[in-house]
This record gives sequence, C-alpha cells and structure tokens, in this order.
Amino acid sequence: MAQLMQTQQPKILILATLAGGYAGADSTGQAHLDYPANTFVLPIMCPCMFPPEFFVHAFEHGIDGVIVMYSGTDSPYKVEADGTAKLINDAYALMKARNIDIRRLRLAAICTVCVKPFLKEVNQMNELLKGIGFVKSEIAPRAPATQGVQA
Amino acid sequence: MSNLQVDALVVGGGIAGMQVALDLGDQGLQVALVEREASIGGKMITLSKVFPTLDCCSCITTPKMSAVAHHPNIQLFTYCEVQSVTKDNAGFDITVLQKPRYVDESKCTGCRQCEYECPITVPSTFDRGLGAYRAIRVPFSTAVPQKAVLDIDNCLLCGKCEKICPVEAVDFTQQPQTFSIEATAIVLATGFELSELGAKKEYGGGKLPNVIDPLMMERFLAPTGPYGRVLRPGDGMEPTTIAYVQCAGSRDQTQGVEYCSRVCCMYAIKQAMLISGALPMADITIYFMDIRTFGKGYEQFYQNAKAMGVEFVRGKVASIREDENHNPIVKVELTEDGRIVERTHDLVVLSLGMLPGASHQNFGLTPSSSDGFVAIPAANASPCVTQRPGIFVTGTAGGPMDIVDSIITASAAASDASAYIRRKTGVQVEQPEVAYA
Amino acid sequence: MPDEKVKLGVYTCYCGGNISHVVNCEQVAKKLGGMPDVVISRTNMSLCSDAGQSQIEQDIKELGVNRVVIGACAPMLHEQTFRGTVMRAGLNPYLYYHVGLREQDSWVHANDQQGATQKALRLMAAGVAKARLLKALEPIRLEAEKRAIVIGGGVAGLRSALDIARQGLQVVLVEKSPFLGGRMAQLETVFPTGGDARSLLHDLIDEVVKHSNITIFTLAQVAGVSGYVGNFTLQICQHSRGVNTENNEALLAACRQEIPDDFNYGLNNRKIIYRAYPGCYPPLPAVDWENYNGEPLLIDGGKPIVLQDTPKTFDVNVGAIVVATGFDPYQPRQGEYGYGELKDVITLPEMIRHLALSKSSEHLRWNGHPVRDVALIHCVGSREIEGVDEPQEDGQVNNYCSRVCCTATLHMTEELQRYFPELNIYDLYQDIRTYGRGHEEYYNRALEDGVRFFRYHGEERPEVTAAPAGDTHPVLVKVKDALTYGEQIDIPVDLVVLAVGMMARDIDDLVKMLKVSRGNDRFLLEVHPKLRPVETAVNGVVLAGTAQGPMNIQESISAASAAAAKVVSLLGQGKVELQPFVAAVDVEKCNGTGACVEACDYEDAIALKTFEQNGKEVRRAVVTPANCTGCGACVSVCPNRAVDVQGWTLAQYEAMVEAIGMELPVLAEAAA
Repeated sequence: MAQLMQTQQPKILILATLAGGYAGADSTGQAHLDYPANTFVLPIMCPCMFPPEFFVHAFEHGIDGVIVMYSGTDSPYKVEADGTAKLINDAYALMKARNIDIRRLRLAAICTVCVKPFLKEVNQMNELLKGIGFVKSEIAPRAPATQGVQA
Repeated sequence: MSNLQVDALVVGGGIAGMQVALDLGDQGLQVALVEREASIGGKMITLSKVFPTLDCCSCITTPKMSAVAHHPNIQLFTYCEVQSVTKDNAGFDITVLQKPRYVDESKCTGCRQCEYECPITVPSTFDRGLGAYRAIRVPFSTAVPQKAVLDIDNCLLCGKCEKICPVEAVDFTQQPQTFSIEATAIVLATGFELSELGAKKEYGGGKLPNVIDPLMMERFLAPTGPYGRVLRPGDGMEPTTIAYVQCAGSRDQTQGVEYCSRVCCMYAIKQAMLISGALPMADITIYFMDIRTFGKGYEQFYQNAKAMGVEFVRGKVASIREDENHNPIVKVELTEDGRIVERTHDLVVLSLGMLPGASHQNFGLTPSSSDGFVAIPAANASPCVTQRPGIFVTGTAGGPMDIVDSIITASAAASDASAYIRRKTGVQVEQPEVAYA
Repeated sequence: MPDEKVKLGVYTCYCGGNISHVVNCEQVAKKLGGMPDVVISRTNMSLCSDAGQSQIEQDIKELGVNRVVIGACAPMLHEQTFRGTVMRAGLNPYLYYHVGLREQDSWVHANDQQGATQKALRLMAAGVAKARLLKALEPIRLEAEKRAIVIGGGVAGLRSALDIARQGLQVVLVEKSPFLGGRMAQLETVFPTGGDARSLLHDLIDEVVKHSNITIFTLAQVAGVSGYVGNFTLQICQHSRGVNTENNEALLAACRQEIPDDFNYGLNNRKIIYRAYPGCYPPLPAVDWENYNGEPLLIDGGKPIVLQDTPKTFDVNVGAIVVATGFDPYQPRQGEYGYGELKDVITLPEMIRHLALSKSSEHLRWNGHPVRDVALIHCVGSREIEGVDEPQEDGQVNNYCSRVCCTATLHMTEELQRYFPELNIYDLYQDIRTYGRGHEEYYNRALEDGVRFFRYHGEERPEVTAAPAGDTHPVLVKVKDALTYGEQIDIPVDLVVLAVGMMARDIDDLVKMLKVSRGNDRFLLEVHPKLRPVETAVNGVVLAGTAQGPMNIQESISAASAAAAKVVSLLGQGKVELQPFVAAVDVEKCNGTGACVEACDYEDAIALKTFEQNGKEVRRAVVTPANCTGCGACVSVCPNRAVDVQGWTLAQYEAMVEAIGMELPVLAEAAA
C-alpha cells in the first residue's frame, strides 16, 4: 500500500454530463457544502464518447479514481443509459488486465440538484482510495507492442 | 430610461411567460419581458419534481431562465410592475415601474458578500415561510438575474452590505422609477395564485400548525429546500401518516370557487410518490371526490401510486381539528359506505386550488370571466386571444392548467401574437412561387 | 490555420472575493503565465464586468491572443457572455474555454485553501491543455426551405397551416380524404362554448383557402420522405377526384352504388360519388375509389362511363413537417358491453350523428322503437386494467384516459335533455373528469337536470345484456354502484351509449417514413413531454393535435399553433443554425470499418459513402451534421480514432487528464 503524503493525495477525476452531474456539482457548490479538494470535475456531453482505453490512460497518468456522473435515463441522448453501462463494463475488463482495482471506476446517475448523491459518491471514492492508495502502486505495465501493431 | 420600442411585451416571467418570450425571440421579434419579482422562474422554480415524469423541476426550468437572460432579442426587466397601459392605432404604450433593488444591477456580480454580512434574517417567501434569508440577498441560488435585492422594509440601514460590496453596488438612495415601453402586442402571462390556506375555516388551515399548503410540501421535497426533508412545521418531527384533502380550494360553492383547478389530483399523487421515496415507512392517504388524471401518462401515474401503496379514499372531508399533540384529525364522509369517520394523521396537506393572478385585473387591460381568469371569447377558435385586439393570454392567467399545457399555450400565443404583429407592422408576406395545383 | 501559432490568454477571476478568498489567484495566474504558449496571464476582480471583458478584448486585439481560457464562476452563468466578448474582439467564439473555479472549487473547499489553490491550478492547466487543441468552429448553417408541409386537414392541420402561413412561410397542406375538416365536422355543438362545430370549422377553412401562402391537396398522401431539417423532400401521391365541374351533377344523379356512410358511422348510406356533408370543402364531390365496384354510369345522351382514378405523384421540398393525422374513435369489440350483438348499444360518436339526424323528431327513436331511457357508460376502451380487461389487437390494454369523453358525455346528456326533455338519463362513470375551464358546469347542470349517476370501479365494469323476452325494455345494464355502497343495480334501458375513447390511427407507413416514435399508448411521441411538448425526436418534425394523444378542440388548436410557432422559429430566417458540437470524420484516418455506423443510434447521422480519394474509390464514414446529436457513440468505437465530436475531442480530454494528473510542486497558501 502506498504511503499517502500529507501534501499528496490521490486524485479523483469526475466526468460529469452537462445535463446532469456537472450541474449537480454546481448545485453542491451553491449549497456551500464541503468535500475534499482532490476531485476534478470535467464537463462532458455524453459518456458514450469515451473508449474503454481512455480510463486506462487516465489511470496511467496520475488519476487514482474515476467517477462517471451521467444522466442515466433522464439523458437527452437516447443511447446514454445503455451505452455507458456497456462502456464501463468493457473498461473493467481492461482494468482487470492491468491489475487495476475495478472499484476505482464508478458509474453514478446524478441529476442537476442531486447534491447529497454527489457528495456520497465523492466521499465513498475517497474512503476507497484511503484504503487502497495510489493506482501507481498496483498498475501493471503496458504490454509491449506485438507484430508492429500500434499499442 | 428612454422609451423602449418592442414588438411584444410579455407580462410575467414564469414558465409560460418565458416560453412565449423565447418563441417570439426565436422568430426575430423584439421582446420585453416584465417580471414583478426580483427573479424570473415563477411558481415552477419553487417546485421539487414535476408530474408525471418526476423530472427534477429545476433541471427543466433553469435552462429556460438562462435562455431568456441570454437571448439577443429579449430584454428582461425584473422587479418591475406594469402600472398603466394606453392604446393607440400603432399599439400600446405601457408605463412600467422599476422597483428599487437598492443595488446597482449594472455593477452587481452576484457574489453574495452583502448577504453573508447582513445581520437581519427574515422568513423566506420563496420557502413559504419555512426557511429564512437575509434582508439583502440574491433571491435564490438559481435566480436570474443573479443579482442582489434589498428588502428595505426589513433593513436596519446598518450599511454593512454597502461596506463589504467589492464593486460598490449597494445604493440606499435608489428611488422607484417609471419608464415607458411601446409594444405592438401584449401577452399576459401573469400566472396564478394558490387559493388561501385559511379559506375554508372548517379545515383549520392557517390555525392548525400541521395543516399545510402544497407549495410548502414542495419546499420540503425540493433538494434546495429549507430542511432537505419532510418535517411537520408544528414540532419538526418526521410525519408517519400524511393525508391529502383534495378539492380543498376548488369545486366548492361555499368558497365561491366552483371550477376544477385541474392540477391538484396530479400534484397530490406526485407528492405522495415523492414522500414514499423520502419516508418509506409513511402511510399516505388521499381523500378525494374524483381523481382527474386525464393527461398523457397521468392515468398510469395514478395506477402506479395505487400499486405503491398510496391509499385513495373516496370521501368528502367535512372538517379538520387537532388533538393535544397537534395531530390533525380529519372528519370525512366515506362516499362508498356512507359512514362518517374521524382519522388522525401527523400531517395534512390541503390540495388548494388555483386562483387568477391579480395583476392583470389591476391594470384593467382586458375583461375577465366570471371565474376570474382572463376571458377568452372564442376558446374553440383562438384559445389565446382575449377580448382586446393585440392582447393575448397564455398559461394559468387564462385558467388553471399544468406545466405542459402552459408551455403549449405559450407557443400558441407566440403564433397568434407573431401573426398579429406582422399584420400591424405591415411586414410583407412573401409571394409564393407557382404552386403545384 | 494549422500553422498558426497558439497564443494563449489566461484569466483567473477573483469573482468579487468569492474565489480569491480561498484560492490564491495571484499564485495560480503566475504559474500559468510560465506555461508554454501562454502570452498573458491575468487576474481580475470581476471578469464579467465591462472592465474585465474589455481587458480580454484588448489582449486579443493587441497581443494577438488566439486562445482564451477563463477561470471564474460556473460556465452556465457566463460562458455565453464570454463567447460574446471573444466574438466582439474578432476571434472565433469556440476558441475559448471556461473553467469553473467557484461552485466547484472555492465554494466547496473553504477549509482547505492550499488544496483549493492546487486544484485551481490543475483545472486551469487542464483548460490550457484543451485550449491548445481547440479549433475554430462555425455553427452548422443549412439553407432551409421556407415552406412547411402539414399532413392532415382536420382542425389541427388547418390551424397549423394558417398560423404558419400568417407568419410568412409557405405551406403545403395534404389531406388523405377528398374533403377538409376531419372529425370536427362530425360534431354538432361543441363544448364549452356551445358553438356550432361546422360553422367554426368553415370559418377556419375559409381563412386557410383564402391565404395565398397555402396550397391544398386533397386525396393526397405521403408516399416517401427523404432529407433532413431544412431540406426534406416528400413524395406525394394524389388520387383523382373522378368528376369535374361540368359532369359532376350528372354523374352524381347517375350513380347507383351505395355504401354505408362513414361520416354517420353507417347510420345511413351514401353514394360512391359523394360529398362528406352539405357545405363541405371542396364542394366538388369525389369518387370513393376504395369502394367503387367499377360499374359504368349511364348518363343521358352519352356513353356509359367507367370512372377512372389516375393518380399522380410529385415531390414537395419543405423545411419542416407537421403531423396532424388525427385519431380514430375506439371501436368496441364484438360483444363488448353488447356492442355489435345487441342492436341497442351504440357509441357516443354514433349517438352524436344519430341525434343530429333525429333532433327535429318529436321523440327519440332507435332501432324501430321509441327511446325513453338511455344509459351512458364512461371509459369504454380507456383506463383498461391489465389482467382485468381484454387486451387490444396488439396485446396491450388501453390503460390511458381519453381525456375528452367525460365532458363530451355530460355535454351529450345536456343535448339529449334539450331536444328530448322527457328522457330518463343514467350515467355510469368511474371518475367524472370535467377538468377544463367551463367543463365543471356540464357536470353541475347534469346533476341539476336529474341525470342519475352511478359509480363503478374499473375492476368490475358494468354489464350490458339483452333484457328477458317480454320485458318493457330491450336492454339491461347491470352495475355494482359505489354510490349506493356497492349495491347491484339493474337498469332497464332502451338505448346504451358507450363513451368510447380515442385510439391512435394506424399510420404505420407514415411513422416508418418519418422515423418518429410512438409511445406505449400508440400515439406519436413528443421528445420531452414538459420542455418540448409538440416536437418529435426527429429534428424538423412536429406534432399537432390528436395524432399525439387525446385532446379536445381547444387543446388541439393550441397544440397546432404551438407546432406552427416551432416551425416558424426553425425556418423563419431561411436558415437552420445548429450547434457545432457534432461528430466529424477525418477522412485521412478513416478506413471504412463502419463501426461508427453500427454504434450510432440516430437515423442518417453517420453513414459509409463511396467516393474518390487520391484517385481511388474508397468507402469512408460521412456525418450528416443536421442529424447528429454529438453523443459520441461513434467516437468510442472507431479503431482508428478517425471521428471526434467537434469541440469535445478525445485528444482534448486526454490532454486535460494529463494536466490534472501531472506532478506539481505545492503552491503557497492563499493570501488573506
């Protein structure tokens, strides 16, 4: 287990939909509620855009936990609910192959005023990371390229 | 402010007013929207979730509010009231009163430092008296415009807000001001008022602490509400038995409101569903005369509520009193077996009705019908046209209706108003090419 | 453009203290200023103020800043404001990126200033990383036909057509039958105004016919649809009328073949050459081709004429489509409440026609006998319960409420009392849904007029049987009446009127052509019942009237006008402008795998097309921007990273993630 330095905390990336999670994060801010500063929210239109490799790339570059806050069945995109679920499952498979604890990637439906659920997700992920530490302590190196195929 | 000339004046910034302004603006017409509160959003922004989809209400209202604020063809005037209207051949001359915010809107950035500093706390009308805010405040978290307003009647003039404001926007010297708007057409979107909690004395509303109105329940259920939970106002306890009394402000000759308010069956069922989620152990009873779930998806919503265990009791509630613990006791004549029984609940919500918003009557623009709402002379030909040429009506100003119908009538009013404006201003209709005939 | 050097202008806002009292903005700005390609990094008390915006404009003009990153309050508040600022300075508004440092940083990390400052730096660095990769984007502007087609010539279609025309656009109105007016023409007086249905309709038809912007085709149907919003092409197939102004009188007289008149639900017959009703429009009669038996017609002094249909097809180019195809009244099954088996059971629409044909009689009669006692039963074919009521043909029950029937039924009781005051009227209902303005009065009046009400529960619907032979009445209605505490009551009546609900019309072909969706109730589905109640998921196709669900005349007119407003907003400028956040394919990288096409859930948004590239014929994916919603489903499956959502590319996200995850020295705590 990695040492957690006082000035270094695991980082949580949150991909939040404009129609859902991102506005939920804003609402949490309007309520002036407190949560740890190691969370970084990026706005997205729809999670279906991200190939499973994207999450592995995030884990390879200093992100220790990822939460996809999507709009679920409330989404303006028909494909969002089912498409995202499939995507996350595919990502889990890649993560397992690289020895990354699959709990580091989470999917949660968050609406524009879902303040409590937003906090719950953030706090839960932080608890998890307190326990399992930085991803760099467990991630297996990338497999070497074979037969000239791009990695 | 100098004379402003627009194609249409929309009176009222609730959902209907916003929608009609957006539709007219999208067509390239110039719109002025006048709203008497410090923020647009109307009643809708105070609601928790909407029926029958249980969409988060804020999620669907705030984009409209934002769109109105940013629309290049819409000029928004908040904290303003229409004072008088005169008509000539060209159109309408409207005098508008800008009430003083005591904050310079052009400077205020909505940073809220003033609010944090203000020593005075007043009951929040936004939260129906259940919560509180400061004397100077941004009206609510999603207010548009996000600018502060000072309630001078509750102000100490201590000056703390003025000192702390980083852009010197607080201005105690502000005076009410009037300005003129010239418009070719006017659309009334002045909305409704909830019927009074105490209108039917037998129900004890306003006297019994645990008999509340439905907008209060909305604030309990809203994620941005004062407590974030359902509590009974009497003692702050979580209720375990909750009752709804339907037709508490409608279909009642004794109250002088004979019409059906159309939305109460659905909002009661909606609230019952939300309460079931918030308080899974609670028993919810709805006392009703007829369940009017007539819209798209509404009947299914009603059947779902039944399946979820909401109890529907056909009965006319005669009176409500309370016991020594302020638990309301409902006396009801059960229609289906003739008995008159008394049932005790922890909390009672009176499903109050919709009364016409007073505004349009105040400036006497167009006659109302005997039900008090704006008279629509040719409902089966032009449902948004009033008795006065050039004046249109939309939303609940024209009679009780839900959000869907408010949005539809708003777009319909935009169509009517737009055609009228084109006729009046002589915009040329394009000559068609050779038709196919 | 690709060779242009990136010059970043980065701005960190104090937000009047809201950000700066937690985040050390000066430190953040200083660190950002040291990053590659950043030509200026500033702080400001309030960037959204005039002064703040002017500063940004100045930097663009004077320092050549060509990528802007702003860290301030939430994007939803001022992203549009700053897009305007950037545009005013002459820079493409999509070369600016907004970072939220207030709601998602200073306001939620008030107790951890160091953490908040570090976070602000990372978020801004991510913004810088993205901004480097931003490309200028233009909203997708499509030339739009300033013309709409309205499919259906009933009250909703007529209203929509008129409203669109009045707002300056051209309209093509196609009506399947030979006559305008739809089902409203089959009504007599209408609620709540008491006006005459056909008079109201004719006023509307007059205006439509008079309006030079509207072209009407009757006997016309849509045979094919292609294109997208702003540029649809519809193939119309129009049948002949079969008669002309010279010969129609003679042909009408010579016509012998008759069939049941569907205008009157078969209560009488009409000829195969017919007018829908007296005074209909167009006034010229038409031939009912579907039922014509081909017999020649013998006209005095002429050869026998066999009527011929010579259909013609033609194309119409429009920018938007209004679907106003109406509804059908529910047709009870054989035996349902005795319908079809007992002659004395009819539907409410049939009753309306029968009353119209009988109202000048002294007494009401039906099926050869006088009618003294009438029972009306609500909710026939509506509010059905799965497991209790028999499913419809498609296996589903009609679990919806048909909205109009309660008021319509009570209105009928009033009409019956008016013409035949001696009638005894029995009304059997579940709930009385007189919800509308002016509707409750019908219920109150019915109570005052002595209509007898019985209340049944949906699980135990009333039964209608033939009365025993020799009885005073032909029919017996049995009901378990809740109003008398569950008593079983037998009501002998002369006539039973079933208040049937509304059913969605069978427009399978049209639905497939337009690619619109239907709800579980089989009616056409709007894209969002609250926010966009008359629009479908297909951009440019809107709904008017009962095609969407049960509604009365007033509501149909409102919906039709609302649909018109949408059409005019869309097409009024002659251009359709869509946000640029749609997918785009890099043809150099694409090798025609087609995974994108499979993944895409939207019709015709992305497709493989064959064209020439570098002298060879290749198949590459091509996006139709008008149909793309930017969901990105194509992006995640492309093996070559050949497709991206413009403005939200994978490379941009990867760069942002790397910036967030990078090793950074800890910054000093925020100043007080």
